[in-house]
Amino acid sequence: MLKYFLRRLVMLGPVLFLVLVIIFSLARIIPGDPAASLLGPGATNEQIEALRAQLHLDENVLKQFLSYAGGLFVGDMGSSMKTGRPVFDEILSRLPATLELSIVATLMALVIGIPSGVYSAIRANSSFDHVNRTLSLVGVSAPAFLLALILQLIFGIYLGWLPVSGRLSPYLIAEPITGFIILDGIISGNFDVAWSAFLHVLLPASVLAAFLGATVGRFVRTSMLEVLGEDYIRTARAKGLSERLVIFVHALRNSLLPAITIVGLKFAEMLGGAILTETVFAWPGIGRFMFEAIKNRDYPVIQGNTLVFALLFMLTSLIVDLLYGYLDPRIRKRMSR
Amino acid sequence: MSAMEDLVYFLRKNPLVMASGSFLLVLLLSVIFAPLLVNYTPIELDITEKLAPPSRDHLLGTDYFGRDVLSRILYGGRFTLAIGIGVVSAAFVVGVVFGTIAGYFGGIVDTIIMRFVDALLSFPALVLAIALAAALGPSLTNAMLAVAITLSPQFARVARSQALSITVKPYVEAAVCVGVSTRGILFHYVLRNGIGPLLVHASLSLGSAILQTASLGFLGLGAQPPLPEWGADVSLNLQFIRESPWVTLAPGVAILLTVLSFNLIGDALVDWFNPRQRKED
Repeated sequence: MLKYFLRRLVMLGPVLFLVLVIIFSLARIIPGDPAASLLGPGATNEQIEALRAQLHLDENVLKQFLSYAGGLFVGDMGSSMKTGRPVFDEILSRLPATLELSIVATLMALVIGIPSGVYSAIRANSSFDHVNRTLSLVGVSAPAFLLALILQLIFGIYLGWLPVSGRLSPYLIAEPITGFIILDGIISGNFDVAWSAFLHVLLPASVLAAFLGATVGRFVRTSMLEVLGEDYIRTARAKGLSERLVIFVHALRNSLLPAITIVGLKFAEMLGGAILTETVFAWPGIGRFMFEAIKNRDYPVIQGNTLVFALLFMLTSLIVDLLYGYLDPRIRKRMSR
Repeated sequence: MSAMEDLVYFLRKNPLVMASGSFLLVLLLSVIFAPLLVNYTPIELDITEKLAPPSRDHLLGTDYFGRDVLSRILYGGRFTLAIGIGVVSAAFVVGVVFGTIAGYFGGIVDTIIMRFVDALLSFPALVLAIALAAALGPSLTNAMLAVAITLSPQFARVARSQALSITVKPYVEAAVCVGVSTRGILFHYVLRNGIGPLLVHASLSLGSAILQTASLGFLGLGAQPPLPEWGADVSLNLQFIRESPWVTLAPGVAILLTVLSFNLIGDALVDWFNPRQRKED
């Protein structure tokens, strides 16, 4: 297991290097002189020169890359061109909001996706199956911003049940402990805060969960159908086990393994959707930060955010690989060889 | 029955595929004949009629500038369909060229190309597209380019695995022996025999190409006003959602229906190429 883990880390090296090259190049593909185009037409020559020096554009490319990559190791992502604050700190302070949102969304997706996928597979080609498969395609086809707007309209504006923007009611103050407001509220015993934060997260999390839950549901259905056709399921049925035992003990456990992979891979894709969702719901996470940076053409922030998204993606696929190996004895054996 | 007739029969007995196909056909015809269907152009302003609710005159109402929403959707549909086909074609060409080369030549060429593909796939697709589009500068062409770049690695993966399995076939060996040029082998043997899964992947990508370009448009990185593009139109009218939801929702629903139709057809094609799945239905 350790050997596999180490090998997996070594494999990550070259990919991480190329990821850094791509992100570094982003600021260099800005057409024309980056400094001039970032400052806009009104800038004086002195301002352009100053920005060029600030972005280290006056040095040679290799040296620029080395100082960029070197800086990352000590948490230096440059400073925001808008606020002048270090990008790393800005991202770090917004990361819990995005993680809280995506964790709640993932839980919602699993709660919806797994049972509906299982039931669809058990009743394959029933009308429930057809409706469910179509709905799950709607889930992956709907633009995140459209879903967000529809939910805002129905639950926020027409029914008035749920708040449509921010993380917390403006009348409440949360003491930051972990940065996850729901958790902080529970820890500090301030249940009003926890409840308000929970209500605020519901709508944006539903938008992300629609995409992830639909994907998970489709995947669970397929792998469940595959497992139900296996010999050991026939054996289990033949020896007279109840259908419930066959499905929940024999089939479900085996069909959930591949579902873990898909949750891991799609988790990161869902983070991409967080940019749209956080923008619509004014959710103060890194997705909205990215959106603001685009509006301001704040390049260090865009680069920093892109890197954080890529790292989260790589981290989740690493965790999924390891978890998969840990849970499936066949793979565990192959890995230790 | 030939394989093609078989496929047509398979698709025709799926009502959702038929509905999607009909929807796309109607959409195609109405965006082509848009000038005959609506009395307004998408950029015609009429301030006295701003944010008018749907009526006989304006079937989907008007936006903040008094522009006819239906006409913006129909003319915008031209961009949407062109975006889908343009982006997927670009991603197809780039991905397939690199993937086929990697799979056919193997060795160090393969390693270098595939590491690069891995690196591109290490970004959530939308995030990479946003970063690229932001760097290239906001315009519809740049947004399409950015989305094409993020979609191409997947084509490279499919093309590579096709090339890997075809390269070891006896007929390729025979072609090498009789002296067919490498380019000839790549085009006439490797690519032509591996095209099936690539086309399926292309049909599956149409939906995400449109969805992602619309998302860039929504973020202000795609089409610039007054170009009638669906994603950009949603964000443009965001502030009027309370009073006049149709202005915002109509282009959004148009995106949903189009992407859904492409995905339903793509999904059926995947089922068709997966015999195990086909047997069940």
